[in-house]
Amino acid sequence: MKWIVILALLLPIAARAQIALYVINGSIATPAGAALDLGRIAAGDTVNTRLRIKNNGTSLANISRVSADGIGFTIDRLSVPFPIAPGSAQDVLLSFRATTPAVYNANVQVNSQINNVTAIAVVTVVNGPSLTVFPVCTGSDGPPPAIDFGRAQAGQLRLCNFYLQNTSAQPMPIATFQVTGSAFRISSGPKAPFIIAPGETTAFVIDFTPGAAGLYSGSLAIETRTFVLSGTAFDSPLPKPLLEFDSGPVQSAQQRRLTMRLPSAAPAAASGFLNLAFTPDTTLVTDDPAVVFLATGTRTLPFSVTQGGTQILISGQTSAMFQTGTSSGRIRFTLTGISTDGDPTTTLTIPPALLSFDTTTATRRTGNLDIQMIGFDNTYAAGAMVFTFFDTSGQALQPGAILADFTQAFRAFFSKTQAGSAFQVRVSFPVTGDTSGIAGVDMKLSNSAGTTTTHLTFK
Amino acid sequence: MKRALLLLIASCAWSQSGIDVPAIGMIVDPSGSLRAVQGVAGNFLLGAPLAAGVLSAACSEQLCLAKTDSKILSATGQVDAPPGPAEFGFDRDTAVIFFPASQTFARWHDDTLELLDWAVDDAVLSIRVGDHGIEIALRRDWAGVTNGPVLLLKEGVLFATADELLLRHRDGSVLTFELTDAESITSLGPHYAAIRALDRTFVLRLEPEHEQLFLLPGSTP
Repeated sequence: MKWIVILALLLPIAARAQIALYVINGSIATPAGAALDLGRIAAGDTVNTRLRIKNNGTSLANISRVSADGIGFTIDRLSVPFPIAPGSAQDVLLSFRATTPAVYNANVQVNSQINNVTAIAVVTVVNGPSLTVFPVCTGSDGPPPAIDFGRAQAGQLRLCNFYLQNTSAQPMPIATFQVTGSAFRISSGPKAPFIIAPGETTAFVIDFTPGAAGLYSGSLAIETRTFVLSGTAFDSPLPKPLLEFDSGPVQSAQQRRLTMRLPSAAPAAASGFLNLAFTPDTTLVTDDPAVVFLATGTRTLPFSVTQGGTQILISGQTSAMFQTGTSSGRIRFTLTGISTDGDPTTTLTIPPALLSFDTTTATRRTGNLDIQMIGFDNTYAAGAMVFTFFDTSGQALQPGAILADFTQAFRAFFSKTQAGSAFQVRVSFPVTGDTSGIAGVDMKLSNSAGTTTTHLTFK
Repeated sequence: MKRALLLLIASCAWSQSGIDVPAIGMIVDPSGSLRAVQGVAGNFLLGAPLAAGVLSAACSEQLCLAKTDSKILSATGQVDAPPGPAEFGFDRDTAVIFFPASQTFARWHDDTLELLDWAVDDAVLSIRVGDHGIEIALRRDWAGVTNGPVLLLKEGVLFATADELLLRHRDGSVLTFELTDAESITSLGPHYAAIRALDRTFVLRLEPEHEQLFLLPGSTP
């Protein structure tokens, strides 16, 4: 009989252990116990506490109730009932806010078919200091309450001014008054501990001094209130870089030199990327792949400048070579990855030009006269050709000018290859009999920029 | 009247044999890949790698040959060859080749290799097959001029000192280009020579009165 009584007493204890309530602080879960002390908060502030309902047993628990009954308390209620598998857990958020100083409590309850858990949550609401945030910073009540210092230049100081006021009728002792965060510092104001008399105001200043570009955060703790501090830093803008080219008119099929410098010393070390892009005048091609930086065969190179320097190094060199391609159009140089005092974008215009030839040859074969041309047409309009053959005495041979039009063939070639306008072509004229008396040929080759005249001697 | 008739016929029958991107020649890039060079002077495009593990390459107007450690590659096939790099001297559609690792000469034609019973007791810098025979540039012949690379050309000879590239024409005139640390000079094609200097590849246009030094794109990693 005695054993039966003992077992009867033990059963509820074992059953209560299956569903348990924990308080989560960061990654640490602490058993809630019978009382949950949520601490002191300022009137009007919100305190949030994350609770964990865990099934420590070996059977499925069906949670039928999760509640926090008390003035000012709320809980992000899940739709009940819901199951929690053995070993699993479900988190809920317990929140409290009140505007009148007092001690508040709530009955926190979790029910399941296995066991119920209850705890008493207690919060003390006191009169907190009222914080006034002056521009350039902006404040928000949250939750959590926050102060944004906005955007500041790296290495530069940004000040924010604050008033701290006791709006209550009682003296307000301030034991905690501190800032955290590497870029934030209280530069003037009272030192804790101090007391703010009823209705009085005290001023203080927080400095935001970011060392480098990036996002910064910290906190301002004033007795019961903690404000999240945030700010963004950007690199110092460089004076607008000057992009300069070696002398001489810019044309197609050139290898040119680009240098970059600053008109005045760099306020800080900086690095970024120099990019080029090409837009052809013609619609036959969308790009010219030969327009690249020669060092890498690409269209982007890194650059850097040291603090106090004016010479910008491109890929570690004092200049960068690039090709202008074989298309009329615009080469646009841009800088990315840095902030500059003005847009340094620079555009080079490649003007339309007459057909240009690297090599032209005229040869005789048995039964044929061959003319070979290697060159480029940066207007993409080549095709119209006129050939006039001459004898050894310089007299034009009949029938005189022979017209040929390869416009469609050239257009098809340019469209298909998308490799710029460089071309090699051989034009053959079938001839019967002795061709030794044919000494030369005049060619007139036209594009949209005009007509090129070339005289070739047969070999 | 006869000629007029001939050309009258021609005027109705002209044809063009197709338009292509101009081929300049072949180079070995810094990673050892064989790549075609296309374009015109001042506007070069590098083609995709055609073969890997290439030690030497050169082109003439009619022929391009490349040497891997054990083969000679051409547009039509390949043939076993002595190990190591090679010096090429083109003779129309054939070539005389020197293999410095084995100090042997061979004649290449139609993807076959015939070893030649020739011997040298010095480093061969360049080979040129001309109308009047074979020219071979030996290191000792250039000892007082340069310790750098030499390329025998139809136009004359191209060679590099520590800080200059010099094109000496057959008439004795010399063109000088500022270029430091040239390591090798090869025949890129009929109108160009390729000069490797550190991690950059330059090309020299060789046509008389158009000589100009350019830089190939993408020659620096």
